[in-house]
Amino acid sequence: MPTYTDMTRCDGCGDCVDICPSDIMHIDPVYRRSYNIEPNFCWECYSCVKACSQNAIDVRGYADFAPLGHKVRVLREPEKGSISWKIRYRDGRRKEFTFPIRTTPWGSIKGPSEYEAPDLSGLTSQLLAHEPTALHIDALPTLKKA
Amino acid sequence: MMLTSNPFAALEDFWPPLVMQVYIVLMMVAVVLGTLFDVHHKGSAKFFARRKEKSEAAAQRHLSGGETVSMAIATIAEAAVSGEFCKWPRRISHLLMMYGFLLYLVTTVVMVFVYAGGAHTPAILPALWTIGALLILVGGLWFFFFLRVNVAYDGASPFHLGQADLFIGSLLASVAFALVWGYVQTAHANQIATWILFALYIFFTTLLFVSVPWSKLAHMFFKPAVAFQRRVEEANGSSDLPSPAAENYIVRS
Repeated sequence: MPTYTDMTRCDGCGDCVDICPSDIMHIDPVYRRSYNIEPNFCWECYSCVKACSQNAIDVRGYADFAPLGHKVRVLREPEKGSISWKIRYRDGRRKEFTFPIRTTPWGSIKGPSEYEAPDLSGLTSQLLAHEPTALHIDALPTLKKA
Repeated sequence: MMLTSNPFAALEDFWPPLVMQVYIVLMMVAVVLGTLFDVHHKGSAKFFARRKEKSEAAAQRHLSGGETVSMAIATIAEAAVSGEFCKWPRRISHLLMMYGFLLYLVTTVVMVFVYAGGAHTPAILPALWTIGALLILVGGLWFFFFLRVNVAYDGASPFHLGQADLFIGSLLASVAFALVWGYVQTAHANQIATWILFALYIFFTTLLFVSVPWSKLAHMFFKPAVAFQRRVEEANGSSDLPSPAAENYIVRS
């Protein structure tokens, strides 16, 4: 079910081009809107669908698989930390689901280079870098011997 | 002084004011015809009509006339601040170009039609004309060299040119040559150079307005139509997008 772009909604910002893991979302050389250059290679990962701030990208069902016009639409709300899905089934039923995707503000996660470099003693520790503080806990849970 | 003198007044030494007036009317006709051709060729009118029919068929409630009018006003207010752009650099660049173009266009029309035939032009008009052109150049060059998505994300050269650049390229060239022509004219430079610059200004201006079917100038008509339809769909319950989440999951800073 490859993706396609509704050109009337797309504003050509390039977020889908940037995020596509298959590098198949490109910019149309005539209209400067995004388009899927190779639908056969689409992983159907929905990264571009979720990243598009204009909700301009949709996923087309193959005619033999979804002949009666089912639809899957997604609404990402980074300010609420949620993603919502609306499924329209072939028989016309509609269902909506909302999932939390994060608990911290969008853009607040620090990149590795923004942390202080750990000292060499960290190599012998069981903890990963910046644990347990980065997990917002005092200590990792441990098994207690009976 | 470039900032205070009407650049079109000097042309009246060579031909009557009617020539530039007819040229502007022809350009307006070209935009109207080009847009109608674009609408017909791409089938966008049919697309919007079909979408409206679908929206009305799937509507969960009927919208009153007052609601529709208030949504139209909200759409115009959103377009006035380029609210459809989610990224601030693109939004500011678009605002600079949009208001610069409006200022440049209106002052051009006023100077050519109202202050023709030797009438004294208030100094504010050429000043606003120059400011409008500079706003277009700032917003346009910023977009051209840094914000074009095939430059920013696809890694194309900043000097890359394609059909998608017909609108921005002809706009920038038209405005740049207008400014240079205006300056050279008031500096009483070589007559031949002045005429060459004027010819380049007219060439790129004509290209900008005549190339509507192949450029994206028509977006100023269909983008607000799409934004309005989207608001209507959200209000009457026919939108295919999920309802906004009721809960805020951000609990930590």
